[in-house]
Amino acid sequence: MIQYLIQKEFLQIRRNSFIIKLIIAFPIMVMCVMPWVMNQEVKDIRVSVVDNDRSTVSQRLVHSIGQNSHFVFCGQHPSYYAALKEIEKSRTDIVLVIPQGYSRDITLGRKPQVLIAANAVNGTKGGIGSSYLSQIVTANLAPDASTPLHSNISTHYLYNKHLNYKVFTIPALLAIVMMMMCGFLPALNIVSEKEAGTIEQINVTPVSKWSFILAKLIPYWIIALFIVTVCLVLAWAIYGITCQGSLWLVYLLTMLLALFFSSFGLIISNYSNTLQQAIFVMWFFVVCLILLSGLFTPTRSMPEWSYATTYINPMHYFIDAVRTVFIRGGGFSSVARQVSALIGFSVVMGVWAVVSYKKNT
Amino acid sequence: MMNAIEVHNISKSYGKVTALDDVSFSVGRGEVFGLIGPDGAGKSSMFRILCTLLEPERGTATVDGYDTVRQMKEIRRRVGYMPGRFSLYQDLTVLENLEFFATLFGTTVAAGYDSIKAIYSQIERFHDRKAGALSGGMKQKLALSCALVHSPSVLFLDEPTTGVDPVSRKELWDMLETLKERGITIVAATPYLDEVRRCERVAFLDHGHLRGIDTPDTILDRFADIFNPPGIEHGKTTGAADENVIEVQHLVKAFGDFRAVDDISFSVKRGEIFGFLGANGAGKTTAMHILTGLNQPSGGTGTVMGYDIRTQYEQIKKRIGYMSQKFSLYEDLTVAENIRLYAGIYGMKGKEIARRTDELLQRLQFSEHKHDLVSSLPLGWKQKLAFSVSIFHEPGIVFLDEPTGGVDPATRRQFWELIYDAAARGITVFVTTHYMDEAEYCDRISIMVDGKISALGTPGELKRRFRQPDMDHVFTHLARQATRNSD
Amino acid sequence: MKHFISFIQKESRHILRDRRTMLILFGMPVVLMLIFGFAITNDVKNVRTVVVTSQADHLTRQAIDRLAVSEYFDITATVGTSQEAERLIRSQRADMAIVFGKDFASKKSGLQFIVDASDPNMAQQWTTYATQTIVNPQLSTVNSKMLYNPQMKSAYNFVPAIMGVLLMLICAMMTSISIVREKEKGTMEVLLVSPVRPLTIIIAKTVPYLVLALVILVSILLMARYVLDVPLSGSVVWIIAVSILYILLALSLGLLISNISNSQHMALLLSAMVLLMPAVMLSGMLFPIESMPPVLQWLSAVIPPRYYIEAMRKLMIMGVGIGEVVREVIILFIMTALLLAVSLARFKTRLE
Repeated sequence: MIQYLIQKEFLQIRRNSFIIKLIIAFPIMVMCVMPWVMNQEVKDIRVSVVDNDRSTVSQRLVHSIGQNSHFVFCGQHPSYYAALKEIEKSRTDIVLVIPQGYSRDITLGRKPQVLIAANAVNGTKGGIGSSYLSQIVTANLAPDASTPLHSNISTHYLYNKHLNYKVFTIPALLAIVMMMMCGFLPALNIVSEKEAGTIEQINVTPVSKWSFILAKLIPYWIIALFIVTVCLVLAWAIYGITCQGSLWLVYLLTMLLALFFSSFGLIISNYSNTLQQAIFVMWFFVVCLILLSGLFTPTRSMPEWSYATTYINPMHYFIDAVRTVFIRGGGFSSVARQVSALIGFSVVMGVWAVVSYKKNT
Repeated sequence: MMNAIEVHNISKSYGKVTALDDVSFSVGRGEVFGLIGPDGAGKSSMFRILCTLLEPERGTATVDGYDTVRQMKEIRRRVGYMPGRFSLYQDLTVLENLEFFATLFGTTVAAGYDSIKAIYSQIERFHDRKAGALSGGMKQKLALSCALVHSPSVLFLDEPTTGVDPVSRKELWDMLETLKERGITIVAATPYLDEVRRCERVAFLDHGHLRGIDTPDTILDRFADIFNPPGIEHGKTTGAADENVIEVQHLVKAFGDFRAVDDISFSVKRGEIFGFLGANGAGKTTAMHILTGLNQPSGGTGTVMGYDIRTQYEQIKKRIGYMSQKFSLYEDLTVAENIRLYAGIYGMKGKEIARRTDELLQRLQFSEHKHDLVSSLPLGWKQKLAFSVSIFHEPGIVFLDEPTGGVDPATRRQFWELIYDAAARGITVFVTTHYMDEAEYCDRISIMVDGKISALGTPGELKRRFRQPDMDHVFTHLARQATRNSD
Repeated sequence: MKHFISFIQKESRHILRDRRTMLILFGMPVVLMLIFGFAITNDVKNVRTVVVTSQADHLTRQAIDRLAVSEYFDITATVGTSQEAERLIRSQRADMAIVFGKDFASKKSGLQFIVDASDPNMAQQWTTYATQTIVNPQLSTVNSKMLYNPQMKSAYNFVPAIMGVLLMLICAMMTSISIVREKEKGTMEVLLVSPVRPLTIIIAKTVPYLVLALVILVSILLMARYVLDVPLSGSVVWIIAVSILYILLALSLGLLISNISNSQHMALLLSAMVLLMPAVMLSGMLFPIESMPPVLQWLSAVIPPRYYIEAMRKLMIMGVGIGEVVREVIILFIMTALLLAVSLARFKTRLE
């Protein structure tokens, strides 16, 4: 009998023109826009300079800042105080103060003390900005006699030679789209049937809990399959970014995530009485799962207690595994642990979804 | 004296659908005026135009001397309105709802108490219960109290008594008469004939056209084919074998201290049409939910189709059909898709479903609507369809919870023909209703009062036993003995 | 006035009785603040490092020791070849490898970093930190000063952002749903036909949400100050004043959404898609606006939270006077006036 229930779910999705549009437009919109938005790259840092030395040497330093691609030169100011005012007015991000006697110190082989004051409200921006700037300053100190060690350090960037931020973003987007489509739509599903009263009619039929829930899950798997395909094709077509590892693994991982989220959505739907409740509760969990998963921030930097939460966060396993496969080209053995964890979560959630659906109270 | 309401050549349409076409009438001050007609006749649109909620396309209307388009504020200050699909704030208590609406209309519960006493006194003891926890009929009573708590000069009631039991309906109309004595003009729409007869004049609307305005009797006579269809001859079911398909002993359902169903015992024979009657909140729906396996009983035993209602409810569900109070086909599926879904759930084969769907639609003369969305059908059709779907898999018993609420007499008659068809095929019918003429159609009926069954027998037996002329009087006689009014 | 009070009473009851939603409403800011304040950071910490060296001479040892004692790096393995190191990185058991040349000691060949650059930002920071740690930066003559946020805590950046998004969510989403619910259930018809003026209905509907938003605002500020140690450097009066302006803006947006939508479903999805997504993505909350392509920068110019978050960062964290945020306040004010005018003009006193 399950085919009739599945057919019904599809018909309902098809009749709801808004949901159809959402399923098609949302992944496309996300893939076209978000990689440009979700760019943590620090660039165009505005630098103001207070040059108390006013020598050719100090002007050379100012010049080299202007030429650096990370920085936008925002002019010189007579005093540190005046420059700070500029920061307060948000017209500049970093102030570089060149001390008096800068050129004399250099010629004498002494170390002039250069001050960098960065607006660190956004810590990442302030930190990265000032460290770039200090590299420039250091390089300028001894342009001829560069230290031997420094010049001998080379860096080999694996998997992402050009440090393209979009490579990092696309697996994260996959996870977000999956969660929005396969999490929120099911969360609304059973509540809507409760509000319409149709659930009562279904409850007096002999339909088994398993087939009812399964019939609700299967359409979201198929939607998930469609969405992953759209995302992968767009990533290739627009950004030229392709999967380094096996595509089958990526599909396997996303299907498991879809199973987890759609079951999770149905569970919330089972326990909620109104649409608003379902949405708010879903939103709450989703935000926590995402923030603590390492989608945007490195999980390794977390303090121990919050790192511990990643062990029960399926999103963490997913993003870890999908990055390994998609970016690093890892094989099955390198993600076996994550796959088995995801299978575990999905099964538990699936069973819970069935159990929490009550036909008889 | 100036008329309270003047309607001149009003027309209104929604896209291609004409709701009202050149309608004119007037209502005198202090008159009780009825607006009757089948579903989709344009009654609700007329109410909304008079309440300034809609603008007519053509024509003008005045209420209390004010123009509905230009003098909206004056009218809104003077009228009371209870829309057809009025729902209360489910998360507020009974008293909070009432107080809110009283303040809204610039009065207090104490000041308006007299005008709602007859109805509100029945639910007053549950004043701190959430409105969402009341039974269907009780909600309707609360909604009425909210609408009547102030004294407007004109009162608009759009089918105020859908789902309300006969006794309470009588009390409501007694109350409306006292309002009339205070000079309040009342315009009401209703599908109940006894209520129509209590109006001074009625206007009959049909598909947006005004077919006639006159005294109730004249209108009901002139359009007897619609309002007073001949009764149905019920060829006595031959197959009412001595086999019980429902047996219930000492059934109890308690919510906390409250016993919604309080120790009831009865049995239903195969092939019978069993009427399950009772006032609002007497416990009918609760009992039905237990029999259909939606709820567990708190005490007592029972079998349906030979299976235990406590443990074998999934077995029961395979063998019964159910049509709930809330209309519950999928509105976003077509007629054929709904049939296919439910038939499929009961394990019928695809080919058989297709064949029997065509048969069914032909019998209902509904073939051309096979691929219409259910949401686009009129209410009467939806209900006939819901019933046909609930017996499509040929169940042993079908449970019908107020299947004909808010439907005009002609459609109700067609509905009962379908019930007789089903009974003739050997399907036991278990039905609740608030229409006492329908009670007469049943083979046997039980009347529930305060969670207990206070009478059980054939309609003839009950009339003789309580020495009453018809079922309506039997019901009133029994229900007036109720001490509690709740679910 | 009596109408007004009883309306507010009724609306407050709706809010207070939905326990689960209340729990989320107050739980959300607390959890978000804790997560941003304590649980996640962009700091370089515990980077799993593999050392690749064939010989352990004195200088190499010294460099490795320096790495090991720093809080930034965890030496997880020492291997012989860089291929082996790469394998460790690929299987996610290490983040970077440091390859010491054969004659690192004699400084003829230097060292190489092999970095997992899946996350380009972190990759760059790791190399910078590693260079500094190994090279022992005696050369550094730069004196860096982190203004306003000396410890570079991400909470400083996120508290204003959380305020921007949550206030928008509560005011716009909840008001619109509560109005649309009345339309859907049919109670709106009765309210409209009652003698109460439509304007009173609307104002009364928004007041409880305004209060709710203020309560949440104050609790966020208190938490920020006493739990996360984020300074409230600026004038609290102005912070509250600008926030109220923003709350009004969000309420007007909620009204507008309720005018457009006919069902709760639609209102929910509209506020989620049209309000929440852009508010999170384009407001500069998580992602710097200046890194976006011009088209998106223009788009972000019409996103109200952008200006509120900017203003709050300046007022709260930088502690500048109101004079420095005049631009943001004016923009917010114009947006509010516009939205309010449109939504009141579009408010229907009749049905369609």
